[in-house]
Order: sequence, then C-alpha cells, then structure tokens
Amino acid sequence: MSTTSAIDSDDEGGELFNGFGSAPMSRSTSQKRTSKRWSFHNNTRPNLQDMPSAASIARRLSDITGEDGVHEEMSVSVLGGGQLYSTESGRLFHAGKIIISLAGLPGRGKTHLSVSLTRYLRWLGVKTHSFHLGNYRRASAEDDITHDLFVPSPNSKKANDIRNKIVNECLSDILNFFKNDKGQVAIYDAVNALPEYRLELHQRFKELNIQVLFIESLVTDDSIIMKNMEEAARSSPDYLSWDYQKAYKDYSERIKTLTPYYKEMGAEKESELSYIKFINFGERIELHNSNYGYLINKVVFYLMNSRIKSGSVFFARCYKNSLEYTQDPPLDEEGLKYSRDLAATLFDHLKSQGKHYIKELDEIKERLRPLAPARTLSVEERHPAAGVDGVDINSLVVWTSVKQRTVETTKFFAERNVKIRHRIQLSQKNPGIVGGLSEEEIEQKFPNEYDHYQRDPYHYRFSRSESYHDLAIKIEPLILEMERMSGDILIIADDTILKVFYGYLMSCSCYDIPYLNFSTDEIIEVKFNAYSNSATRIPITSHEK
Amino acid sequence: MPVYSISHVENVRVCVVMVGLPARGKSLIAQKIVRYLSWLSINSKCFNVGNYRRQLAGTEDINAAFFDSNNAEGLKYRREAIDNAVTDMMKWFSDENGVVGILDATNSTRERRDRILKLCRENLIEPMFLESFCDDDELILQNILDVKTTSPDYVDKDNEFATQDFLQRIKFYEEIYETMDQATDSDLTFIKLVNVNSQIILNRIESYLESRIVYYVMNLHIKPRCIWLSRHGESEYNLTGQIGGDSNLSDRGMRYAKKLPDLVLKSLGEENKHTNLTVWTSTLKRTQQTASFLPYKKKLQWKALDELDAGECDGMTYEEIENKFPEDFKARDDDKYEYRYKGGESYRDIVIRLEPIIMELERQENILIITHQAVLRCLYAYFMNVPQEESPWMSIPLHTLIKLEPRAYSTLVSRIKADIPAVSTYKEKGTSQLGEASGPNISKSRDLIKDSDVV
Repeated sequence: MSTTSAIDSDDEGGELFNGFGSAPMSRSTSQKRTSKRWSFHNNTRPNLQDMPSAASIARRLSDITGEDGVHEEMSVSVLGGGQLYSTESGRLFHAGKIIISLAGLPGRGKTHLSVSLTRYLRWLGVKTHSFHLGNYRRASAEDDITHDLFVPSPNSKKANDIRNKIVNECLSDILNFFKNDKGQVAIYDAVNALPEYRLELHQRFKELNIQVLFIESLVTDDSIIMKNMEEAARSSPDYLSWDYQKAYKDYSERIKTLTPYYKEMGAEKESELSYIKFINFGERIELHNSNYGYLINKVVFYLMNSRIKSGSVFFARCYKNSLEYTQDPPLDEEGLKYSRDLAATLFDHLKSQGKHYIKELDEIKERLRPLAPARTLSVEERHPAAGVDGVDINSLVVWTSVKQRTVETTKFFAERNVKIRHRIQLSQKNPGIVGGLSEEEIEQKFPNEYDHYQRDPYHYRFSRSESYHDLAIKIEPLILEMERMSGDILIIADDTILKVFYGYLMSCSCYDIPYLNFSTDEIIEVKFNAYSNSATRIPITSHEK
Repeated sequence: MPVYSISHVENVRVCVVMVGLPARGKSLIAQKIVRYLSWLSINSKCFNVGNYRRQLAGTEDINAAFFDSNNAEGLKYRREAIDNAVTDMMKWFSDENGVVGILDATNSTRERRDRILKLCRENLIEPMFLESFCDDDELILQNILDVKTTSPDYVDKDNEFATQDFLQRIKFYEEIYETMDQATDSDLTFIKLVNVNSQIILNRIESYLESRIVYYVMNLHIKPRCIWLSRHGESEYNLTGQIGGDSNLSDRGMRYAKKLPDLVLKSLGEENKHTNLTVWTSTLKRTQQTASFLPYKKKLQWKALDELDAGECDGMTYEEIENKFPEDFKARDDDKYEYRYKGGESYRDIVIRLEPIIMELERQENILIITHQAVLRCLYAYFMNVPQEESPWMSIPLHTLIKLEPRAYSTLVSRIKADIPAVSTYKEKGTSQLGEASGPNISKSRDLIKDSDVV
C-alpha cells in the first residue's frame, strides 16, 4: 500500500476531465470557460468527416495486414484505444512526465521491452514514444559501426565524438517530445552502463521536472541470452543483409567488449534513484523507491505479465455475425462446415510452421484411456503452475464468447484436445437502437446521431449501444492474459471484438480501429517480434470430409 | 456455461502464505484480497491462525510470555493452531472447491514455510508467499495503535499494557524470524513488500491470477478518504414502474438533483467543505441530470456504470414481465445473481464489467458515484463484503446519499436522506408488486443499508 498514491505536481489537477461518453459534460454557468483549451470534445481534434474526401476514403482500411503502428510518431490528437479519459495537458493519471530509461547489456531484450511497453502505454492513451539509441547510431555512423561506438569511453576521438553526438541528438528529441508533442512517457532505449551516466540523466531530467525511472534488464540465464543473440543476428537492423554467422559473431563480440564496462544498478550512490530490476524477463522483478503511483503500478502489472512470445495470436470471425444481437441460435449446416474448415485450416497452418503439437484424432483416442494416478511429481522442487493456460510454448488455447454458435464452432478444436475458454467479454458490441440496420438505414432513421457517429465512430455510442471504446475497456484484463501466454491463441469472435484486439496488437489509432475489416474466409495471424509485430492472412480452405 | 471474470480459474488453485512479524498489516492485506476476489466470484477464504489459537487457548491469560519460543505450553498451542488452520484450509480446497486460500499467520521460520510448501505441492496447489517487511519504527508503532484497538487479544485491557505487551510479543518473534530472500528462496513464488511498498520484490509470478493479486495489493492505499454513493433521482420510468430505459428525471427527481450539492456539503462537514470530489456517472440521462448541479470539475461518465441491461424486458414493468415471461420471472427470483435477462445481463455480468474500473476506484481519493440500483448494489457489496446471494436483494432507496469511510479493519457507513419523497423501486421475491413488504420472507440483507446510521 503506498502512502502517496499519486504525484500531484502535474498541471492535470485543475483541468477539466473528459470521460468518453455520449455527450460532453457541461460546465455550470458560473464556470464558463474563459479560454479555449484542448480537449477531446471540442473541435480541435481531427474532424474526419470534413477532411478532404480523398483522405476520408483513405482511412477506410480494408487491408488489415498493415504495419505495426508502435513506432509511428504520435500526433497530439491521437488517442489510444483503451484511454479512459482525456485531459487538456494530454497527460493522464496525475503522473506528470516520466522518462523510462532502460539499462542493460546488449542481448537483454531492451528493445523488446521498450517496444512492448510503448504498445501497452499507448493503448492506455498515455502519449508514449520509444527512443532507440541504436537508430540514432545507425543514422550517424552508417556503415561504420564499430564496437568502439558502444562502450562508454571509446578509444578513438572520432568514436567519442560520434557517441556524444548521437546521445545528445536522442536526448534532445526526448525533450522535444515532452515539450512540443505533449509527450508523457519517453522510453530511452540505451545501454546506460555506468552509474555516473545514470545519475547525470536523473539529475538532468529532475531539473526539468521530469521523473526518471530506470528499468534494468538483467539476465542470469545463458540460454535466454543465446536465444536473444540469435534473434538479433537474424533481425536486428544493425545486421541487415549480413551473413547470419558473421552477424552472430559480431554481436557476441559487441557484448563481450561492453561487458567489462557494465555496472549493475543498486550501488550506494544510486540509492536515490528509482529503478526496477527486471531479471530473466520477469522471473524476478524488484522495485526500488517505488512510491510512484498508479501509472507505474500499471507498468509493473504489465511487466509481470509480459513474456517474450514465440506463439502467435490468430483471429477468426465467428459465424454469422449479421445476426441480431439478442438472438442466439445454434449453428446451421453452413456454420458447421465453416467451423470444420476453420479448424482444419489452422491445424494445417500450424503444421506448415513446424508446430506439431496438435494431436491427431486417433492418437487422442489412445490417450483417453484411464490416466495414471495424478501426482507423481517430487515435492522437493518447483514445477510449472498447474492448470495455467499457455505456459507451454507448444500449446493452443481457443478463446470465444458464450453464444451458442461460437460454443459449437469450437467443437472441432475440443475433439483434438485443444483448451477452450468461453468469455462473456468476447460477445459482440451491443448495437443498441441501430441493431439490425444497415448504414444507409441508420443514416435515414437517425440522421443526427449518424452524423455524430461519422465524426467519431470509435467513441460514439448510439442510444443503448456500446462503443468500440467500451469494448476496449472491457477486454483489458484479457489483453494482459494474452500477453502472458507463451503458446498460440485463437480468438473466435465477432469482428467488432477482433478489431479492438487487433488494434492493440498492431498499435492502431482509435480513428482506424472501426474501419478495420475482417472477412469470414480468412484467419489473421499476428506474430510477435522484438521491434514490431506483423500480421498475415491465412485463407480458410475447404476441407470436405 | 461457466463464465470467468478474472482468469480461467477452474484448475488453478493458489495458497497465499502470509509472512511477517506481528503489526505489519498482514491481516489487513489478507482481508482485502479475500474481499476483492470473492467479489469477483473467485472462491477465496482467509484462515487466521490467531483465531484458531484463541479458540484453543482462550484469551484470558494471553500475554507476551505465551509467545516466547521457550514457553513449551504456548508453543504447543501455537503448533496446534497452525496445524488446525492448515488442515481446515486443505479440506476447504478439496471439499469446497477453494481457489485462493490465505494462511494468515507470521510463518516466520523457513522450516514452517517449507512444511506448508510441500503440503501445497503435494496437493497441486500453487504456493505464493506474501511477506510484509517493515523496519521503520514509526510505521510499526502506528500499526500497533491500530491493532491494539481492534485485536481480540486486547479487549478490556489497559492501553499502556497492551502496547508494551505487544512490543514484547514482537520481540519474541524477532528472535526466530527469517525473512524471505532472493538467494535462498529464488525458487519460490514470493512477494516481498518492504516498508509499505517503498521496495517490492516479485519473484516468479507465474499466473495471471497471481499477478492480479499483486497488482491489487500494490494499488491499495491507506490515505483517509470517503466514497459517496447515490442512485439517480426518481425518473419518469420509476413513476410508471418500468425498468431500464433512458428516461428523464421526474419533477421530484430534479428536486433531488438540485439538493444533492447541499447534501454532499452536509456530509463533508463544515471544516472539509472545500474538499474536491471526483464525480462518476453512468452514460444514461438520469444519472447525468442528477449530477448536473454539482460544482465539481472532475466528472466522468462510464459505460460500466450503466444499469443492468434487461434485454428483451427493457422498458417493461415487473407485472408485464411476469405475464409475458412467467418462467423467466420465476427463474430470476430463484437465482437473481446468476439470472441473465434474454439478450441482457445478470448481476454477475455487471461485476465483470465493473472489474476494470474497481482498480481505478481503489486508487481514487474522495469520490461520488451516481449510478443505478443494480450497479450500486454490486459496488456496495464490494466495499461491505456482502455475499452474492444477498447483494441483489438489498434495498437501496432513492433520494439517499450513502457515505462509506474505509478504515483499516472495517468500513463505516452512514447515510443522509434528502427528505424528498420518491416511489419505492424495491421488489420482494415472488411478487411483481413494488414496495417493501413485511413478513417472514423478506431477504435478510434487504435493510442492510437502511439500518446504517442516519446522519
């Protein structure tokens, strides 16, 4: 329990809060606003409808396999999908401005950490950007990246100059982000090897009223480092068009050169600093001087659940979601075929990716013989938590809603021993009064409401309906659970729900989420990578019996 | 069809083993976790070893000497107490499908923790150690003041004696105390909270449920604050007895809205009248109209605070429902918490949609929530630990401001009536008529809120 739950130094305290609702809260007459201020509900946010028509057509994203938006520059008005409210300063949770500075040797997953944190915080609506020192180095040194550029005190003057230049460039961009872009959290992805550096950073930003939180990534398990080195040699932008073996060798030399310089955090002189030690990717997390408040607690909650994922998230639409919201019929013949094809297509795909963990039907019959008496594991040692989904990299879990037809759709998965989880939060968006109406009919029947909806389809709520934003808040617990699972997940749901999940994974702005388009003849696969996620389509093919 | 709110918990079982010297706030944390999880329909229970010990040894002759590790008789009682608690807990896990059991004791030695650990592993229960460590004397003394006024061990005992005796008791424990540490305990799932969260160590958190518990504990704060709850003013639908809808306030409802700022001021008291509140409402007109005269700047609308969605029955009166869907009407009375209206929601569904914002609520300070009958019942149940079978049957009258003051070991409730007449929207079990009847069949929690202090 923290005695100081929030740091109230920010200017947010006196601001007007805007919850996202059907109508802006009006101030009483005694509180007439004296000056025009930015808020979500006044007209300074992008007005999609009155934009040149070409632009508004371009926003209709029919191709959902676009780019991961996690590195996009944030315009002042972009809002995250799960943002609870807006404030005039653009900053949230009374948390002020924060720089999260990473620390750790190469190969410790810093980039992954900064990117996935950025994704989560942007989703919460916190204006976050990750600044990778490596990108600045690549821009400056181009072909001439020597190990000298990575150590804190390079031998050559030239390397030293370049080093100082890139650090300064990066830090001034960070300041700019706070100053001009209403940024709230900057994630500084660099090695930050020495206590003197870290103290200086702390001092420099403290003077500007920006809190500094360090997250130090430590790895004591060599197998994790090996895996990261392989990943870096394969996909790091430093090694574009390099031979894999050569890249691997270079990277391991880089780590070797840097290791003697690196000083772990926690020395006496650093006792003032606030830092989180993130050990073996979350196996242990230590918070020091952690009375930071809610936003950082959220970060820690995320860190507890964040895993380096090797599994994918698959999205499939549930059958017949044109049905009226309140109806709940069982699957018909067509639907049964769809379900069979869906399962078979996914199983084929997994196999083609070298994943052979789905059991064949005849194998399963074998296994359904009475099981051996349950507990033979030793009590002297630790075992994986019993009954937790997705611990095994080689596993598939299906999530779907509680509607009859989605329950029946999962039958072909269940018979292959795939775990099925039904969640009420995965039910389709409640359409309220416009249920069953086409866009044209809505426009005719409720012209006024339709106009509002057009302006902000993400937040606008027709009478009695849910907005996409309401869905986003509802599924937040599921997003964290999803992050925690190492294996594969298939989500079968209405496309309104899929859009929101996809929006999180690919960092879509909430202006784009309503226009994402999922079709019934394909599965979308989202793969996790350290620097950005990627999405691909898998056509559902007919698998007649 | 099982519906999981927090995690798929049908397989996962967690035993939270509290660790720490006396007066480190262990019981408070344990109780809060149980309240939170129970509210989310996760079967959880706290096993307080102190209570077992008191049952065995009474409280008459209990003083610090009893806790001396050289006191053979005291030791015998204390061993027996923990054995009984652990036995009961294991029985509860297996017989009552327990999901999260909390063993609230000092568990101060590694030997003791090892025994519990093995027992858990044998039974496929995930052990999670939660240590509250504190070496800040000021914090400890503050906590002792709290404990001594509430602990059953010191009922009818002199204040000065209680403090001294308790300090001595802590000393005895300190002699044998072994704290959790990274080196020796690296293989265990543990959380160590140092000096009220100034340092936190999280080791091997391996399930979402565990992470949720940790996150919850991290967000608890002990700053004094109040929560005000109110239903919207009487609405046009209330007058006609219709449920759901999105109607406007009636004239009397409007009068309540106008009076609400004064009621809040009265409840704050003269010295706190400048306290700034945050106001939360639902997205429906009647709560916003009710909030419209409040002078506070921070107003937020939440879809999650909207009234229970009655689906096809929306806009009907109970009589109409009884006529049109007699079976549904009865099914709802039989299990009001679980019953889901056709195309609508159940009380359980409301709790699921409130889950993401309850954390938001825990971190807030002074807050006024204007919402609807069913949602208010769920929120009240969270703060006051009202069981599921009872919470849907609580009577929450219109035009009444309820104030909750969370304290370390309990929550104080008081209410202020606006003295503006309103219809009753309370429906007894087995009838479609509104109003509170008298007789033997009334729900035992119906008058829970009405019996609380009226200011």
